[in-house]
Amino acid sequence: MELVEHWVLALSGLILLASGLLELPLGRRYYVTEIPSVTWAGDFFVVLYIHYAAAILFVAVAFFHLFYHGLLGHNGLIPRRGDLKAAIVVIKSLIGKAEEPPFHKYLPEQRIAYAGMAFIIAMLIFSGLVKTYDNLVNPQLPYILALTATWVHNVFSLFFFLTFLVHVTALAIRPNRPLIRGIFTGFVRLDYVHDRHKLWLNDIS
Amino acid sequence: MSKVTRRNFLKLSTGALFLSGMAGFTGCVESRRPGNLTTLIDCNLCDGCVDLDAPLCVAACRQRAIERIPDPVEPIPQPFPRGEIEDWSNRKDVLDRLTPYTHLYIQRVDIIDGDGGERTIYVPRRCMHCDNPPCATICPFTANHKHSNGAVVINSDMCFGGAKCRDVCPWEIPQRQSGIGIYLDLVPTLAGNGVMFKCDLCYDRVRDDRLPLCVEACHRFAMVFGQKRDIEMEAIRRAAQVGGYLYGMRENGGTGTIYLSPVSFDKVNDAIDSGPGRPHMAQVERHLEKASVLESSVLLSPVIGMGAGLAAAALVAVKGRGGDGGGD
Repeated sequence: MELVEHWVLALSGLILLASGLLELPLGRRYYVTEIPSVTWAGDFFVVLYIHYAAAILFVAVAFFHLFYHGLLGHNGLIPRRGDLKAAIVVIKSLIGKAEEPPFHKYLPEQRIAYAGMAFIIAMLIFSGLVKTYDNLVNPQLPYILALTATWVHNVFSLFFFLTFLVHVTALAIRPNRPLIRGIFTGFVRLDYVHDRHKLWLNDIS
Repeated sequence: MSKVTRRNFLKLSTGALFLSGMAGFTGCVESRRPGNLTTLIDCNLCDGCVDLDAPLCVAACRQRAIERIPDPVEPIPQPFPRGEIEDWSNRKDVLDRLTPYTHLYIQRVDIIDGDGGERTIYVPRRCMHCDNPPCATICPFTANHKHSNGAVVINSDMCFGGAKCRDVCPWEIPQRQSGIGIYLDLVPTLAGNGVMFKCDLCYDRVRDDRLPLCVEACHRFAMVFGQKRDIEMEAIRRAAQVGGYLYGMRENGGTGTIYLSPVSFDKVNDAIDSGPGRPHMAQVERHLEKASVLESSVLLSPVIGMGAGLAAAALVAVKGRGGDGGGD
């Protein structure tokens, strides 16, 4: 289930980022529309339809995630007391300045990043829904509300892109590389878990 | 009808009553009350002010525009990579098309009648102030917005001049002046290219319960301004009375500008000199109508996700497996 959630969210999120960028009038200016088979990129209506289609998946999966895991009490990714301190130790260990402590299923900085990403996604969804309501139901929302929704959406799109970069870059760090297999299969090697996630192993044993 | 000034009353009722020879219309300006204000432009009455250097409505509108638009910087930054700028600052006297300084112009249309006779009508052209304007809904910075009184207004302090509003406008109304605006303070060669301008329905005047300058300036009372329902009823009544044709009530899903013409708009459109800055008068479907199913689905997607999450969690609970309980 988590694998499907992750990939639907990731792929729809990337489509949203790309189509959102094309909603800025940059496609024609920077000759994107002259790339064969990408001429549609200059049609703001077509790009908007793509943005909406991806948003349906993105929003639905985000709400599914919230309710499914919330109701089942899956709280392993919720930040805990001491995570910030522990995350600094982990980061130091990655550059050889400290000993890496044993971990549960998730690393402390993963929990912090999850909370940050959840906040960014929540802001994107909320502002996006206001914008969609403005487009569909009432184009005469108070100007300050429409303007705020737009700029929240734009600024948090930038944050989303930056956190996506950090998320992907984390996989380039050597100790994290065994996780790449997990992204595609849902499984990680047992020897990796033995080495790094002793607390998790203890829990499930 | 809460506020009827003497001047407004004269413009709205006397003009309509005496010049068109019709009775019964008593519209008024109620801009503080939410509701779309609408203009009826009666081409039976407009004579294009042919004896004047500039039509009165155009001159009044342009004077206001010129006073409000700052001079562009010199030299205007060349936008990378295309280097295309639009500079009208040395052509403020252009009156035969829409420009950043001319938000209203008169289209002269020479029409050949069915019997071979020629007929000339004059059509004041400006922003239609659509009911659901794509220029506003699709602006990436919400620099363009439809306000509660129906005016579609570009906030020149927020506009980057990307001209997306012009691309999505069925009539390509907004016009760009390069070398001014907020983009100059950021990365002027890489993003942005000026500010877009168009008729704002004299938003500041209307907000104070005054008439738009074009309506006020017209000595033939060819423009009537008021609440949408009143104006639409008046337009239908006049059209029925003179056997005329209406344009703007259905175009692009409905607009805040209705034209009444003695000849069909198919003929007007065929005869019109349309092109950049010179809008057509063809029938226009609302493009974003096709997106309404998608938009509705976006608004429903939280409910869909929530329902699926509840169902899946219930299924897992019934089967007695709640995951590993510690981390997912």
